[in-house]
Amino acid sequence: MDRILVIIEREEGRIAPLSYELLNAGAELSRQGGEVLCACLLGDGAGELADEIAWYASEVYVIDNPLLSHVQPDVYASAVEALCRAVNFRTVLMGHTHDNLDIAPKLACRMGKDAITDCVKIERDMDSGALLCTKPIYGGNAVVVLEVEQLPQIATLRPKAMGALERGNVRGEIIPFPCELHPSPILTISLVHGESVSLDKADAIVAAGRGVKTAQGIMELEALVEALSRHFDRVELAASRPLVEDGLLPRSRQVGQTGEKVNPEVYIAVGISGAAQHMAGAGGSKKIIAINKDSGAPIFEASDYGVVGPYEEIIPAFINKLVVLP
Amino acid sequence: MKPPTIIVCIKDIPDPEGPRSAYEIRSDEKRVVPIGIPPVINPYDENALELTMRLKDRWGGRVIALNMCEKAVLPVLKKALSVGADELILLEDQAFRNLTSYATAWVLSAAIRKIGDYDLVVTGRQAADWDAGQVGLLLAGILELPGINLVQSAEIEGGTIIAERLTRTGHETVMAPLPALITVSSEVGDLRLATIKAIQDAKKKSVTKWGAADLSLDFALLRSRVIRSLTPPPPPSRHCHFIEGKTSEEKAENLAARLRRDKVI
Repeated sequence: MDRILVIIEREEGRIAPLSYELLNAGAELSRQGGEVLCACLLGDGAGELADEIAWYASEVYVIDNPLLSHVQPDVYASAVEALCRAVNFRTVLMGHTHDNLDIAPKLACRMGKDAITDCVKIERDMDSGALLCTKPIYGGNAVVVLEVEQLPQIATLRPKAMGALERGNVRGEIIPFPCELHPSPILTISLVHGESVSLDKADAIVAAGRGVKTAQGIMELEALVEALSRHFDRVELAASRPLVEDGLLPRSRQVGQTGEKVNPEVYIAVGISGAAQHMAGAGGSKKIIAINKDSGAPIFEASDYGVVGPYEEIIPAFINKLVVLP
Repeated sequence: MKPPTIIVCIKDIPDPEGPRSAYEIRSDEKRVVPIGIPPVINPYDENALELTMRLKDRWGGRVIALNMCEKAVLPVLKKALSVGADELILLEDQAFRNLTSYATAWVLSAAIRKIGDYDLVVTGRQAADWDAGQVGLLLAGILELPGINLVQSAEIEGGTIIAERLTRTGHETVMAPLPALITVSSEVGDLRLATIKAIQDAKKKSVTKWGAADLSLDFALLRSRVIRSLTPPPPPSRHCHFIEGKTSEEKAENLAARLRRDKVI
């Protein structure tokens, strides 16, 4: 019997929403091809979440090991490798998350294969059995569909690329998978937690781009965040990559291909040119409002509302209007 | 400490800052043809070069820049020599066209084994054309080196590398024995500029070419990417409604009014 494996993502001890998207992608494939949908939970005490995942997958493998207490990519990759060698999976689906940027290639290498990363769609060619992976390339200026034949087919799926799987009404089997793991050759000496921001949970985002050059400008946008808080529950300040590299805002607030992928109700892009790399993170927003002094900026092609003009003048006036709106 | 030998892997790509119109999509040939934009060293590879040069500033030693492709773009790649690399090795062969990430890593690993003596391999975190972000760590795996991903700074001390690697919100300081491989992120900062003298001196530096036959390669491993289709991105699904007004204030007011009318706010 063929199997599909989904690696469950966790955050702060809970199952990350992305996991249900991955399970949905796996369920789609298994509806087409009839494979058994399997999930894998890894961690120290990972078993606690197995009951919940069992409502979504037919087999839930649990690799519970103290060496998995914090993400050490080599150890995680070895754990998944051990499972892949014990159980044959046709396809392994992982989230395109920060940690998996490290774990996925390390897993692929251990299996002697390529992984296809940052896919926005995953399908099966029913004739050849190949996995068809759709991903944007050249900064979003082209879209490629790659065929992967060799097993296991390993792919990482971009967050928010598909909806969440509904909870099923049959409970799958929970299978503990003990395996021998070795400490990573890479030793952690110290860990610095930056500011923890959940941009992916915001319902309104004000994002600053290269056009906002100064700390003064950032303060202006913070005032807009404040004013929007009257209308939305969670409003966050974000930035495009150049601004983060200039040190004006922390990297945890970076939206884009190498930052966070967001999907708020409203995304206000201020002084952002709209490069495809940025839109790869912001494109999931329900409504995009662009404020930019350059009427030819590509951001306007990707927006629902556009205001051409200097943000230094537009934002304060907009705030004045927002605070009097009921 | 003995001055280290560092191998830095670089490749050229069409300038990723180019406008959309600069990328001609030839769906029938399943390829992208850049029009009117020059090739540049992949920006993340430039970050890798910069970090490598900082290590060389501190420790001296030898830096070898390594490139693999079907046909090398020498004027672009020579930039590595003019910022301080001592040697450029080009792996150039028809057989290296359109390789998978794994096959690419395999060819690079064969060249690195041929170079033989080295302490550190440095790559960019990903190439800004296909954005797979895999070759570095695959290369580490094939060479059986510790592979540290997304490094923003690194220091060599004794026989170890101490690196700061990015975590999702902060960073982690890690240590691994040398030889090791690191992939470098943009947080390292921009590549230094070359001086005129350095550009002159670069002309005297050695450029070596190796083809597939010069490397101990199992040709069965030279797998190509299987492309089912390559198409332009879907047309923008949004239509921009421009907010008009005589002054910035009027535009701002009209924006608020319009958003309210459309129940956005």
